[in-house]
Amino acid sequence: MSRRSRALSVSLSTSLALALLGACSPQGGDDRGPDVRQPGVATGTVIGGTPKRGGTLTVLSNQDFAHLDPARNWVMPTMDFGTRLIYRTLTTFRAAPGKRGSEIVPDLATDLGRSSDGGRTWTFTLKSGLRYEDGTPIRARDIKYNVERSFAPDLAGGPDYAQRYLAGAEGYTGPLDGKHLDSIRTPDDRTIVFSLRGPVAEFSSTVTLPTFSPVPASREKGVQYDLRPFSSGPYRIESYARGKKLVLGRNPHWDAATDPVRKAYPDRIVVIQGLKGGQIDDRIIESAGADASAVEWSDLQPSSVAKVLPKPGIRQRLSAERTGCTDMLALNTSRAPFDDPKLRRAMQYAVDKQAQVTANGGPALNDIATAYLPPSLTGGRAADPVHTGPATGDVKKAEKLLAEAGRGDGFDTTITVSTGDKTRAEALQQSLARVGIRLRIETVDPSVYYDTIGDTANAPDMAISGWCPDYPSAATFLPFVFDGRTIKAKGNQGNVSQFRDKAVERRMDEIAAMPDATAAAKAWNALDREIQRKSPAVPLLWERKPLLVGDNIAGAFGHPSWTGQFDFAVIGLKDPSRSQG
Amino acid sequence: MIAYLIRRILGVAGVLLAICAVTFTIFYLLPADPAAAACGKTCSPERLAEVRHFMGLDQPVWRQFGDYLVGIFAGRELGSGPHAIQCGFPCLGYSYENALPVWDLLMDRLPVSVSLAFGAACLWLVLGLGAGVTAALRKGGLLDRTLMVGAVATASLPVYFTAVMLLYGLVRLTGLLPYPAYVALTDDPFAWAANLLLPWVALALLYAAMYARQSRSSMIETMEQPYIRTARAKGLPARTVVVKHGLRSAMTPVLTLFGMDLGALLAGAVITESIFGIPGVGRLFYDALQRSDQPVVLGVTLLAAFFIVAANVVIDLLYAVVDPRVRN
Repeated sequence: MSRRSRALSVSLSTSLALALLGACSPQGGDDRGPDVRQPGVATGTVIGGTPKRGGTLTVLSNQDFAHLDPARNWVMPTMDFGTRLIYRTLTTFRAAPGKRGSEIVPDLATDLGRSSDGGRTWTFTLKSGLRYEDGTPIRARDIKYNVERSFAPDLAGGPDYAQRYLAGAEGYTGPLDGKHLDSIRTPDDRTIVFSLRGPVAEFSSTVTLPTFSPVPASREKGVQYDLRPFSSGPYRIESYARGKKLVLGRNPHWDAATDPVRKAYPDRIVVIQGLKGGQIDDRIIESAGADASAVEWSDLQPSSVAKVLPKPGIRQRLSAERTGCTDMLALNTSRAPFDDPKLRRAMQYAVDKQAQVTANGGPALNDIATAYLPPSLTGGRAADPVHTGPATGDVKKAEKLLAEAGRGDGFDTTITVSTGDKTRAEALQQSLARVGIRLRIETVDPSVYYDTIGDTANAPDMAISGWCPDYPSAATFLPFVFDGRTIKAKGNQGNVSQFRDKAVERRMDEIAAMPDATAAAKAWNALDREIQRKSPAVPLLWERKPLLVGDNIAGAFGHPSWTGQFDFAVIGLKDPSRSQG
Repeated sequence: MIAYLIRRILGVAGVLLAICAVTFTIFYLLPADPAAAACGKTCSPERLAEVRHFMGLDQPVWRQFGDYLVGIFAGRELGSGPHAIQCGFPCLGYSYENALPVWDLLMDRLPVSVSLAFGAACLWLVLGLGAGVTAALRKGGLLDRTLMVGAVATASLPVYFTAVMLLYGLVRLTGLLPYPAYVALTDDPFAWAANLLLPWVALALLYAAMYARQSRSSMIETMEQPYIRTARAKGLPARTVVVKHGLRSAMTPVLTLFGMDLGALLAGAVITESIFGIPGVGRLFYDALQRSDQPVVLGVTLLAAFFIVAANVVIDLLYAVVDPRVRN
């Protein structure tokens, strides 16, 4: 999940909610089902039709990438950028909008991998004719090498699935000291075999992660590899001035015939970083000159929404795909008052989720969450709620549960939020006041938010936190958020509720070991409901990611696998001659 | 003069060392852990310990500080064996977030901040001194009062207001100027100036107002001195009296101010750079704060301290040249 991007993407404010109300009301009578609330193009549509080959695509960004090194890249939109443009992985997601985008297809590998030994051993065969940017062949041992790199302490921060799944990986600290993992075998240049600790049914999905892309040992530069990953994808890095500008040019040795996913339409991709968010919006709205061939990297600012929605011409350039993440109110279960499950259940009814929607940008950019698992992990539709009732909360039921818990007079409690979420905390304060809960709000700067709520000894009673699955499997969600064994004294993330429950942990281990992915998905779903009954957190919102493109952009859609960021595999220009530079 | 110079330079070194020690201690005491930030979201305690060791954060603070100081003069190697990272002279630490030595990052951004600072300085000197001297020579007149009311009004506008208004008026509304995007002077001098014009004006307006008031009062004071009357009585042309005798002496306090302001600006104008999206030292500092990239924050702090202290020394030396009494 993209923790940092969440911290930086300041929550949408009420001004946006008002803007959206104003913009949407004329269409109130036009009943087109749920899409009426869609702020931009409908989910599943592509902006601008099919692109033409050539030209320069510009990406305007307010920030630098956290890490482009494939061993360290674990921020959702950056994973999209890295794996779609610079490096290929064993498998990847289909380049398609909507639900089809969640399907896994072979990338470097010839198929989705063959499992044996009840899902403990996975074998992948590489396609022939795969080459790096210098024309040298991509070999299976290069993938093994990058997986090994992800264990090195100096290359920390990347996805940790290799550490979780590979057999005999305890205490391994990477290949730089000359040691290698026995659990990855490469009998020849085109075969790679992974031996896992236990069965992993969806390992085909795991290898979509950038950890499973090739890095030749001869190109090892340790920490500095981050500055210039060696390309196995359609583009190579021409220049990269950190925080300023990244320029990608074509990789002449990338062969489209081996790559069913990436179309690589533009000749060059230029990422301009460190710009001011509101100015990026204004530039792309105007779409003058080179900005017509530009897309924005981070969310449209709340203040810019009013400039987009009322104008159909601009509105049709707005993508607002579901992020696939769940935003929730974590209740600190480690001490009073929320060590009492009854009290936590009362919270499920006391919270006014509708007010959260309003405070976070309105119904156009948020759906009410009815479960921890986002719809993308529960068959595409929202799960039926365990705690039923109106979206505004059920005051009577909450009061009853409070009385049963011996807190009929309410109680005092605290929440810590980042400055951008203050409006939401106030909405929460109002809804809890209805049942006599007196909430004290503490706001902290976004840059220290996760350090503050991750300090378990001093953690607040409540915090707003979220999680995004790494690929469409609940195994990348529930164990990160509700497994008590992952709690750390400091820098605690994921399990912000500090929820410890032996039965739940046992069940997680059992489901993780299921060889059948479909049965596992069902079981995760049931476990989600089980955890909801224990109520370590209140599911609040399923958000959308609003992103705008210039009017010369074609093939743009928010990809569901990367929190609604554009799929860079197939984005391009309508008229390449209009792009400058 | 030599002895004076040596004394001053030793003083500067002392001040910088003190600033370095204080900043280092503050970071050591802060709750944010750079190792945890680097380690990522599912970092186990064992792995965190490995990362801390790799980054040298498991050493006692005095040891870390000692290594840091040695690195500044001799460069150093961070980590050991196959993990080692070379950080050459002058090593101001290593940014693990950016995978670059702090010095390289600073040198990459410095030309941007220097472009911004010097361009703005030229503008505000011309505007500020022009307005100040004109007002002083027409003391009490309509022009004087208009200029000074204008100066007070401009000085009271914060840069984030003028910057946003300028952007709105000159870029969004009329399209006269492009959205600022830094272009290096060596790449395209015209685009360099066109892109920096707005930030220059935004910064210069603020400073020009202060300089107008400062130079006006200083000029008025000087022009009332007996030697000016003498010069006039000698029958010198008015221009010579004003420029050679009046202005030159009136500028001393203004120059003091100028040195300090320029020094502070050279190490980055955080707000201006952020609003206009200019990748200077100020923006680097802002981003480093966001990412708990402490080596960079420390590096920028030291650079800023260096520029301000250095500007002071230069001014003092200029005094010494003008006034021999200072040397003793």
